[in-house]
Amino acid sequence: MATESRELSGREIGWLNRSLLLTCVAGLAVTVLAGLVQVRFGTYEMTLPQVVGAVFDPLVWFRPNVLATFVLGDGLASALGIDTAFDLPTETLIVWNVRLPRVLVGALVGLNLALSGAVFQAVTRNELASPFILGVSSGAGLAVLLTLVVFANFAALLPVTAALGGTLAFLVVYAIAWQGGTSPVRLVLAGVIVGTVLNSMQTALFFFASDLGTVQAAIAWTTGSLTGVDWEQVRTVLPPTLLVLPGALLGARYLNVLLLGESTASALGMRVERARFLLSAVAILAAAASVAVAGIVGFVGLIVPHMVRTVVGSDYRRLMVGCVFVGPALLVATDLGARLTFQFATGAPLQLPVGIVTGLVGGPYFLYLMRRRNELGDL
Amino acid sequence: MTGPRATETEVPDDDHRGTAPDATMAQSTTDGTAGASDLVGDGLAVGYPATDEPVVECERVVIPAGEVTALVGPNGSGKSTLLKSLAGQLEPWDGAVTLDGESVYGMADKERARRIGLLSQEREEPGSLTVESLVQHGRYPYRGFLDAVSDADRAAVDRAIELAGVEDLRDRRLDGLSGGQKQLAWVAMALAQETDVLLLDEPTTFLDLHHQLHVLETVRARNAEGVTVGIVLHDIAQAARYADNLIAVKDGQLYDWGPPADVVTEGLLADVFGVDATVREGLDGPEIVPRRPLD
Repeated sequence: MATESRELSGREIGWLNRSLLLTCVAGLAVTVLAGLVQVRFGTYEMTLPQVVGAVFDPLVWFRPNVLATFVLGDGLASALGIDTAFDLPTETLIVWNVRLPRVLVGALVGLNLALSGAVFQAVTRNELASPFILGVSSGAGLAVLLTLVVFANFAALLPVTAALGGTLAFLVVYAIAWQGGTSPVRLVLAGVIVGTVLNSMQTALFFFASDLGTVQAAIAWTTGSLTGVDWEQVRTVLPPTLLVLPGALLGARYLNVLLLGESTASALGMRVERARFLLSAVAILAAAASVAVAGIVGFVGLIVPHMVRTVVGSDYRRLMVGCVFVGPALLVATDLGARLTFQFATGAPLQLPVGIVTGLVGGPYFLYLMRRRNELGDL
Repeated sequence: MTGPRATETEVPDDDHRGTAPDATMAQSTTDGTAGASDLVGDGLAVGYPATDEPVVECERVVIPAGEVTALVGPNGSGKSTLLKSLAGQLEPWDGAVTLDGESVYGMADKERARRIGLLSQEREEPGSLTVESLVQHGRYPYRGFLDAVSDADRAAVDRAIELAGVEDLRDRRLDGLSGGQKQLAWVAMALAQETDVLLLDEPTTFLDLHHQLHVLETVRARNAEGVTVGIVLHDIAQAARYADNLIAVKDGQLYDWGPPADVVTEGLLADVFGVDATVREGLDGPEIVPRRPLD
């Protein structure tokens, strides 16, 4: 018995196993590489060594006041009594001021969407669930558009209104799908219905926009775009992410028990409804945070958990950690494609919204899921 | 049969049909194993949100301490509903469920899960889960928000796996197991919960004979350690051989209650199961030879 116990404790650390480690390393490598390439290209030409030098410039990393000024912004940093006056080489300034925020926001959006999708998939016991498919993204999107077009004064509250919109949409979807319990397919159908209605309402809002600029911004925004994001968006998405990350990682154990079915979870002493509610709140916050800065980027929340699951299995302790690394990788890489494909093909500085690329990748993946399974959507 | 039996229980006569015989039940609770727990339902009316009428109504039902009690009855008679309600998973519309006098629905959820285990039929299996991870979930009610797995948890998991005889399946994934092996893994999970009362809903249905007996043997071994067992069994012949007490349920009412030798009669088989059968004295209690269905 004693040796058995020792083996057991050995295996327990073993949930951080080889396939998970590989997944994390691969995700990190793709994120960093895609990020560096992303940072390299722009109107100011740089070589890759220059880029690496600028990104990892010790003049930034070893001076807390410089780092804080970038992350917190001039205003907040000086209000906190941090010295915001400093000199940096041109490359470093360009990279840190203009190009790096896009990579950072992309990574954080990917992370949030992946975690959101993973949580939704367990809570609804539905492999097809994701914030996009359950209408949460559309709800958050409508709320953000309303804020931008109608209540422009409340623009600072964007993440909050996005979260409210997402929550409302999710509740409506659940209510429609509920018939003394819900099935995966019914949830997806309800999500599609609610999503379609919400998208129509978003389009309708364009007609009330006062000028063409707002409409254009709104369109780019509903397709999900990282064009022109700044440190301000980093500051918007970072605080909710700092809540989502521990919430999702600590929630993994509860998600694992939920996966055994409602009856078993309840018999094990879990308050199923409360657990579902709290975990859904984490997922909605994650989706809303990413919608607030990048608009509606579809399919990431669906694809990433699924890819990670095929490699590390359905243990949510592993799955969540894997999503933290693969989510950013997918988004930063597709954003790279969105920004540079046309630039290289045609030479014109034309950028696609990243949401179009994830849609192009995600649609076929969804199809593949559908064809491969007999039981559509069951975890 | 290794478990203690309710020897003093009287034969309930026909007047008791529909209502449980209070006096006999009260008597049998006194000779249970010391430290084991009585699970009692009083004046129960149990239903679902979607039903207008209660599905089960009974004056008094007792799962006596330290014994194995089988709930039997035809499909849709309400035996699973009754079990769920006794397990604290379906609050009755009326009446009370008590464990050693303490209200089951008044307990905190985890506390209840440390005292009453229920292996339900409605469950999901993530295929990539290993048997060991499944069994570890049985320790959920013992772990706080940030607690790591303790030595007690590990020991309980080891014991449960050993008792259920699934050591060789320990690291196997559930999607690679047969129905019977899966069932044993689930039983091991319920055992790891280390409850005073263990309730199982049709744990032998759809299994081959070998695994049926394996499951029943495991449960009996747990019972020998003093755990009170309530078990819904589909097969009345199996229930008659295996259980210390039978509770026969018909149309949401208790039809009869007592040791198999008293409960299993040709009259019961006709009234409750709608079967013309011969009942004869066997080596391990009554033996049933079914003849034909009655209209």
